[in-house]
Amino acid sequence: MKFTLPIFDVKNLCFSAGGQDVLSDISLEIFNAEYIAIIGPNGGGKTTLIRVLLGLEKPTKGEVKIFGKRIKDFKEWYKIGYVPQRATHVDANFPGTVEDVVNMGRTSQRKLFSKLSQEDRACVLDAMKKMDVYDLKDKMIGTLSGGQRQRVMCARALASKPEILILDEPNTGVDMVSQKRFYALLRQLNKEDKITIVFITHDIGVIADDIARLFTINQKAIICNNPKEALSCEEMSELYGMEAHLLHNHKHEH
Amino acid sequence: MLEMFEYDFMQRAFLAGMIIAVLASVSGTFIVLRRYSMISETLAHSALVGVAVGLVAGFNPLWMAVIVSILAAWLIEYLRAHFSLYSDAVLAILLSGSLAIAVIIVSLGGAFNNSLFSYLFGSILSVSSDDVVTISIFGSLCLGVLLLFSKDFYFIAYDEEVAKTSGIKVKLLNFLLVSIVAVIIALSIRVVGSLLIGALMVIPTVSALQYRQGFTKTLFISLAFALLSVASGMTLSFHFSLPSGATIVLSVLVIFIISLVVNKK
Repeated sequence: MKFTLPIFDVKNLCFSAGGQDVLSDISLEIFNAEYIAIIGPNGGGKTTLIRVLLGLEKPTKGEVKIFGKRIKDFKEWYKIGYVPQRATHVDANFPGTVEDVVNMGRTSQRKLFSKLSQEDRACVLDAMKKMDVYDLKDKMIGTLSGGQRQRVMCARALASKPEILILDEPNTGVDMVSQKRFYALLRQLNKEDKITIVFITHDIGVIADDIARLFTINQKAIICNNPKEALSCEEMSELYGMEAHLLHNHKHEH
Repeated sequence: MLEMFEYDFMQRAFLAGMIIAVLASVSGTFIVLRRYSMISETLAHSALVGVAVGLVAGFNPLWMAVIVSILAAWLIEYLRAHFSLYSDAVLAILLSGSLAIAVIIVSLGGAFNNSLFSYLFGSILSVSSDDVVTISIFGSLCLGVLLLFSKDFYFIAYDEEVAKTSGIKVKLLNFLLVSIVAVIIALSIRVVGSLLIGALMVIPTVSALQYRQGFTKTLFISLAFALLSVASGMTLSFHFSLPSGATIVLSVLVIFIISLVVNKK
């Protein structure tokens, strides 16, 4: 059952805001242990799609099911880890250490009145180690670099032991070296821990080897189910990387 | 200095003041982190409508203040959620609106006198034994709820949407937080006064934030600042016969300035 039931099942999804169609007629499925990259031009609806999937926006038409349940009936949100775009922007004075922030990942599963249990502690520790931020645990979140924050936000998402990690291009202000390190950690999560990864990114070339499928979102979805068989990695990265790049520039001319 | 505790009224005021310091600083931490500082000012003015009704109609002003400020808190949340209004504009409208209503009620009822003055700026003389009991009971309840959900409130303050997607009932908790803040403000106006309670909620936390510590430490630093400023404010109020709200706020302002200077980079 687990292998056939998709984590996300989206059917004929439409979303419009202010009379403008942002997403139209999108149908897609996301399965367990997949690594999916989402690319597309700015304003093409990538972030909106993610927000609809997470129940932060209500679709105008169509249906989203998570683990076979409709969003309003879905209760096991700890199974989903979400790292938003603004993850690397933190108020410099926010009173929180890295550990405080990663602890948040356990908040929704904690029982009333109880402090963090042994199990919670273990999950937090594990998440920090996996994301390579254990050494930073007593540092204030506001004092970290962009790359470090990015990893802390992922550790926070991982602390709830999710089955799927959804990342909305959390890379503003992150340098190339940190970025590569981050991609390597994501690959590890996908390969070793079998965590499903959905990643909005512009760096499609860099992660081309890791991904199983590629979604291009520009109001509609183009789903490339088998990029590796259809194209060599190099070609694929060139094609989609270029396309994203061209669309991106095109958008800016207007 | 300790002779002030020989007076019953001072013991009562001090006890009430300490409870309020704890409540204001703990709830204030979440309010400040959520960028919601102005809500305390607004609710304090709404509470004044309750006080006015109480004074004119002969009900217990404290109880009326609790009821009206809870209603105002719900109205604010409702307006924010259902109309596309700027939240700071909503707060400004309600703040002046409630003050206007309170003044009209009091003027029509002919109760514009010293007792209203004490609700505006706080008075250590006015804290009755009944008030202490009310403050203790409601105060413990509020503190209990705040501590029970402190991790959730903290997460929401950090990132409301991420908190929501991780299964935290953000809407319900927001509602709960503003309701608790409303009760705390209503309880505080006896000692600190409705025009000054906002400062006691906001300034200890903002001062504590200057020390750039983790969450728990920041909470305790803020608590210590609030207790210290209420204690010194009340002492000043006693010795110089000044309204306690004003002396408390002045004390916390001194702490704020010191915190700013000490932590300047």
